[in-house]
Amino acid sequence: MSETTIPALVAADIYKRFGALEVLKGVSVAAHEGDVISMIGSSGSGKSTFLRCINFLETPDQGTITLGGEEIRIKTDRLGRSMGADQDQIDRLRTQLGMVFQSFNLWSHMTVAENVMEGPVHVLKRAKNEVRDETMALLEKVGIAEKHDAYPAQLSGGQQQRVAIARALCMRPQVLLFDEPTSALDPELVGEVLTVMRDLAAEGRTMIVVTHEMGFAREISNHTIFLHEGRIEEEGPPAELFSAPKSERCRQFLASTL
Amino acid sequence: MDLSLLTWGDGGWGDEMVLGALMTLAVAVCSYALGIVIGSGFAAMKLSHLAPLRWLADLYTTVIRGIPELLIIYLVFFGGGAVLRTVAKGLFGYGDYVDLPIFVTGMVCIGLSAGAYATEVIRGAVLAVPRGQIEAARAVGMRKGLRFRRILVPQVARYALPGLGNVWQLTLKETSLISVIGLVEIMRQAAVGAGSTKEPFTFYITAFVLYLGLASISNRGFLRAEGWANRGVRSA
Repeated sequence: MSETTIPALVAADIYKRFGALEVLKGVSVAAHEGDVISMIGSSGSGKSTFLRCINFLETPDQGTITLGGEEIRIKTDRLGRSMGADQDQIDRLRTQLGMVFQSFNLWSHMTVAENVMEGPVHVLKRAKNEVRDETMALLEKVGIAEKHDAYPAQLSGGQQQRVAIARALCMRPQVLLFDEPTSALDPELVGEVLTVMRDLAAEGRTMIVVTHEMGFAREISNHTIFLHEGRIEEEGPPAELFSAPKSERCRQFLASTL
Repeated sequence: MDLSLLTWGDGGWGDEMVLGALMTLAVAVCSYALGIVIGSGFAAMKLSHLAPLRWLADLYTTVIRGIPELLIIYLVFFGGGAVLRTVAKGLFGYGDYVDLPIFVTGMVCIGLSAGAYATEVIRGAVLAVPRGQIEAARAVGMRKGLRFRRILVPQVARYALPGLGNVWQLTLKETSLISVIGLVEIMRQAAVGAGSTKEPFTFYITAFVLYLGLASISNRGFLRAEGWANRGVRSA
């Protein structure tokens, strides 16, 4: 990681509780241009919640999110709930953060191409012709161009997830967020999605990847974060973290995933 | 049965019966449209996080679905007439008999009834839309209005259409009840014809054919709409 430039994305000291359950207890991550950060940890460690806090699908109770130097403001309403101070700002933030979900979440009433074009055309107001060309190029890139007229229900999980990645890319985001992108896939379909993600990493895309694929995390990321009970238990270059974890909990976790 | 009674023009009842069918169709379409509007509003209330709105919507669907439609018609027609008379007397000192416009009264009554059923259908359809798809819309920066228009409504339509087709069939049949307040639709026209010719069976079998025709044509329309709304789902 280069420490001299302004980070593309900083999430600083994020706290989040659901009722009595404190899910995040001060998690900070900084992603520089071209970083691929993998987040690992057992289920319930807060890694998905953290990712969802970055684009305000969950509003952090405390902490700050800064994208490209712009801080997203949070306010507290009369009932003490935190919320985005400026919905326009949050919507703008979201257009710059491409999110890929565990369960794909393609819009089922739209074709593959329509799914990819929806955001650029209706949110970014870009010209339809231009977006269509880019859509086809992206579908080509994720290896699914021949299905551009199909509906999501006609595709396998791996194909749907590749469309979802194309949908995220077509927004031309600064950072890509992956929330366990292969966890809902049949084992034989995991590979095709990882291949696409590997290519994105090689292109120098800035990515934050929550994953259970340890081998993949080790291979493609330049920084790995191990989350335990809402705190960063250990972080560092994957080569070190995976081969010689310093914390006992990380050691146990890695042993259990082998 | 005497089919010569059903000829067109002055001598027969054919044109009257067809006009009755058109009136049935007109009042059914208007009631149904009103019902969809009412149903959407109350469905939104039922899904609100504000408890008083939910109670109000529950009260509406419970009351309307719990009493016979005929009673709704009598209550609105006579109750509304009484209210109107009182108001007219107070304002203009005009205290004679004031009649409610029967088409509008009938439309409101059947619309209220259709609305109660549509409320449940639409509420269920909204709940059937996968949350993740709404979340994906938020994640690309869609505002509330855009999410509603581009993502929620098309999918609600998909889930609601079969149920709304049922509501339409009910609405079409319920319009026959408006004959009691004098709207000349199929039922009323058939009764008039039956009374003056002493050939009730001829007229009621004609009514049967007309209702069935309206129902089957509109049913085909709904099936087509369902096919369109389900594009990409059933063909999988």
